[in-house]
Amino acid sequence: MSTVIEEPPTESLPESRVHDPDISVLTDKVPESLRSPRALAGIVLVLGLVYAFFCSRPIWHTDVWGHLSYGRYIWETQSLPRTEPLLPFAKGMPFIDAPWLSQLIGLAIVSAPRLQLAGLQGLFAILITCCSGMLAWRTYRETRNGWFSLLSLAAFLAIGSIPLTVLRPQLAGLACFIFLLTRLARRTNSARDWVVVPVTFAFWANLHSSFMVGLGLLGCFCLGRAIDVLRRTGSLRAALSDVRAKRLFLLSELAATAVLVNPYTVRLYVESWRISRNENLEDLTEWYPLTFRDSQGQLFVAAAVLLAIVYRLSPRRVRTWELMTLVGFGLATMWSTRMIVWWAPVAALTLAQHTFAIWRAWSHSPLVPAAAPRTGKWTFVTLGLVWIFFMISPFGIAVIHGKHSDTSRSLSSFTPRFAVEYLTKHPPQGPVFNTYEWGDYLQWAGPKGIQLFVNSHAHLIPRDVWLAYMQVIEQRSGWEETLDRYGINTIVVDLANRESLIKKLKEDDKWQSPPAERDGQVIFTRKKPILSGPPKIEATKATDVQTEEINPKPEAH
Amino acid sequence: MKSKQISNAAVYSVQAIVVTAFAAAVAMGSPETRQLIRNELTGSSYVPRVTVTRETPLTIEPLYNEPDVVSDEDLAAVLDKIQPRFWSKGDPTKPLPGLKPNYVEHALRTWWIKAKFEDPEVMSGVALKDYLVDHGKWLTAWAGSTRKTAESLIEDTPDGVSINWGKEEGASVHHDHWLACLTEAGITLDEPVFTPSSRKSVADVLQEALRDFRLDETEIEWSAMAFGFWIAPQKEWMTRSGRTVSFDMLAERLMRGHKRFGVCSGTHRVYSLMVLIRLDDDYHILSPETRELAMDHLRSVRDLITASQFEDGHWPSNWAEGADAITKPADDPLYKKVIATGHHLEWLAIAPKELHPPRELILKASAWVIKTTIEQTDKDIGERYTFFSHVGNALALWRHTHPADFWMKWESNRPAVADAASVGMKNQ
Repeated sequence: MSTVIEEPPTESLPESRVHDPDISVLTDKVPESLRSPRALAGIVLVLGLVYAFFCSRPIWHTDVWGHLSYGRYIWETQSLPRTEPLLPFAKGMPFIDAPWLSQLIGLAIVSAPRLQLAGLQGLFAILITCCSGMLAWRTYRETRNGWFSLLSLAAFLAIGSIPLTVLRPQLAGLACFIFLLTRLARRTNSARDWVVVPVTFAFWANLHSSFMVGLGLLGCFCLGRAIDVLRRTGSLRAALSDVRAKRLFLLSELAATAVLVNPYTVRLYVESWRISRNENLEDLTEWYPLTFRDSQGQLFVAAAVLLAIVYRLSPRRVRTWELMTLVGFGLATMWSTRMIVWWAPVAALTLAQHTFAIWRAWSHSPLVPAAAPRTGKWTFVTLGLVWIFFMISPFGIAVIHGKHSDTSRSLSSFTPRFAVEYLTKHPPQGPVFNTYEWGDYLQWAGPKGIQLFVNSHAHLIPRDVWLAYMQVIEQRSGWEETLDRYGINTIVVDLANRESLIKKLKEDDKWQSPPAERDGQVIFTRKKPILSGPPKIEATKATDVQTEEINPKPEAH
Repeated sequence: MKSKQISNAAVYSVQAIVVTAFAAAVAMGSPETRQLIRNELTGSSYVPRVTVTRETPLTIEPLYNEPDVVSDEDLAAVLDKIQPRFWSKGDPTKPLPGLKPNYVEHALRTWWIKAKFEDPEVMSGVALKDYLVDHGKWLTAWAGSTRKTAESLIEDTPDGVSINWGKEEGASVHHDHWLACLTEAGITLDEPVFTPSSRKSVADVLQEALRDFRLDETEIEWSAMAFGFWIAPQKEWMTRSGRTVSFDMLAERLMRGHKRFGVCSGTHRVYSLMVLIRLDDDYHILSPETRELAMDHLRSVRDLITASQFEDGHWPSNWAEGADAITKPADDPLYKKVIATGHHLEWLAIAPKELHPPRELILKASAWVIKTTIEQTDKDIGERYTFFSHVGNALALWRHTHPADFWMKWESNRPAVADAASVGMKNQ
């Protein structure tokens, strides 16, 4: 069969029309819903840089390893621990493992041969990028201005710079928090909220116990809305019957109910409340009240002052939820530094929105600008940027090529790698006294069955044991005897913060001198180990052994 | 944009979902969870009571009857020395002024409640018990004392009754020593305990002790024993802090650290561990692994005391150093030697043979401690009563008896014995 192509009839067109561009070629064929504004590409470019930065950050040496250890325990036993399972001196302590799902996800990632440490770095970067991205996008939707989106992003990263250095389940909670914040801060309601909000809380309760903060946020929005209506109408009845306030109230109730979808059901509430009252936490710097002497406090003050100025000048209506969350989380931050991570996104979002309002008023422009044009081109540029940043990151390289960078670059310089190496070669006999900051990594990477004194789950450590830890670490009266009482035969401490303790141990002839030492990691071994089991000595009569030195050979049990 | 109205039906439906979900969660939760919720709501720290199924505590029977270790005469002579002469000289119806509860506790654990004596200066077991359980009796010894004293020996707590212990004059010296001594003496659970303001019972003291127990406090020797005697075969319970404590953990704690630590040169830890093993024989309160660890631990103690006994038969306070204790002897006063020797003989009397040092060492130790005790004046004994009381108990155990049983029999037979002795002399 042959096809005869007929030439189209030649029409006599004017010469100028023949050389005009083909309009159909230039028409954007990308569906309307997939088109993006130019600002999105700009925001994604910055987010890509954020991602690249955090992806290349070494993994912090504390919490994450402890959580992975608990995840490993859950995986190996196929059950959630009822009491603390890893620390010998914390045996029997009740353990509500709220972030069990985060721990298993982390374990799955680090255990995947293709991902390993790069997987954790990628997870860390993705979570922070998502948090930043959600804030930036919410700001963009409010302002339709990319620069102010970047302002919210920058403010968030700056205020939260210190807590955002650590990969921990709290980051998953933060992502849930920002997702909720950006969803609630919208001008319009969505019917999907009835499903999305409870589902978010159901996940959140299994990822981290910070869901309580989320419930607080919902409460602020609900109460804030009612107060707004009351202020506007002067009618309590109107405030109580306001549809939006009612809706937020019902959503709060459903969210609180969704939290029950966790292995501990209602007990998770009780334990999440109780944990903050644990006395051991008072000794940890991140639970200290905020002080203006350190950079975190100074950042907080700077942001608070800036917010005060912005609110004073802003022509935008101040919604009560903004004040409630800013003041509420702000006071909580002053009470305990670690709460700054929840204040940061609220501060960043409101700062950007009100700064934008001031700028619009100053430039005599309408508060809500016209929507920016959207084109398919920027969608492709955006996707291209996402792909490029993913591809060049250690995470992307691990996923695509299965290649991994040097371990030393993936772990923070404070990670006790030498200590792990040493203890693996020389398995410790009996309990090991370790600095709190290293307990997690030693637990994860150290010899199997290592009996550590503490890890970063300070709330699980019995009060007496914690006090003993503090006594030794601060060399309070009787600290040497405490080491003997606990049968400590090995001490792992860091030179950076425990120089005085190290000096005293070096002077004590009960400990091997010089100790094993490298990279600021110092390991002391007792010359004559204290044994709980039987020493290898022959039972001999006193008269026969008077001149014979008994040198019991240690036996680990 | 106008929000869509929310119907009343939707509101009621959500309320129904919420109420049902929370009610189901609470109802299906463990009793422990429900209690936690109640505590949080009411601000209390209530802990459910541990079920104690017996009215009288368990006892551990001695294993040996060895006249070579101690003869009847020697045992009687030692027991005569350690009788609790605690009645006031001027008024034998009142205890000695400033009578320390620690002395009474030691006397009671040695002599038991059933003890009766012919000597009117000696407190009977019942009187000893009354002194400890009745605030009024305690007050007769301490009222008007010029020394700084505890307000009372027995104290009311918000949800029970506790024993005042510590360094204050008039208080018990060690945590749960009061309870352990009364337990060893055969107190019943329903025995009334009179606080300054109310009437409680030994059961209340026991529950309070179980609730307030802290595994990592300095001394757990007496808590471990008392709990074992009362709650076995139950293996674990929950304390006020929410911690689940088991007898395995108690045994591990008793073995923790250097052996020199613990009251009376570390010997009480050994005795308590032996008690747990003996209870485990009948009630299986330890896991096989922990039991084996505990046995290993006691074998190491056996080896250490084998290496550390002095030629004259006494064990030094630094027995845990093994042979080093002999090459580098501690400058022990006599009472410290009595403590170490008496206490070691005590745990060995309830220990299986495999944990014994060579027999001649036991014979030497008993000979030394008998001689030393008999040589003491009443004043010396009075000043160190607590340590010598262990000697009496240890020696009685080596004769498969208890001080009260032996002494009451001895006293009732004394005229006959005396006559027989005089007859014997005449025949010679």
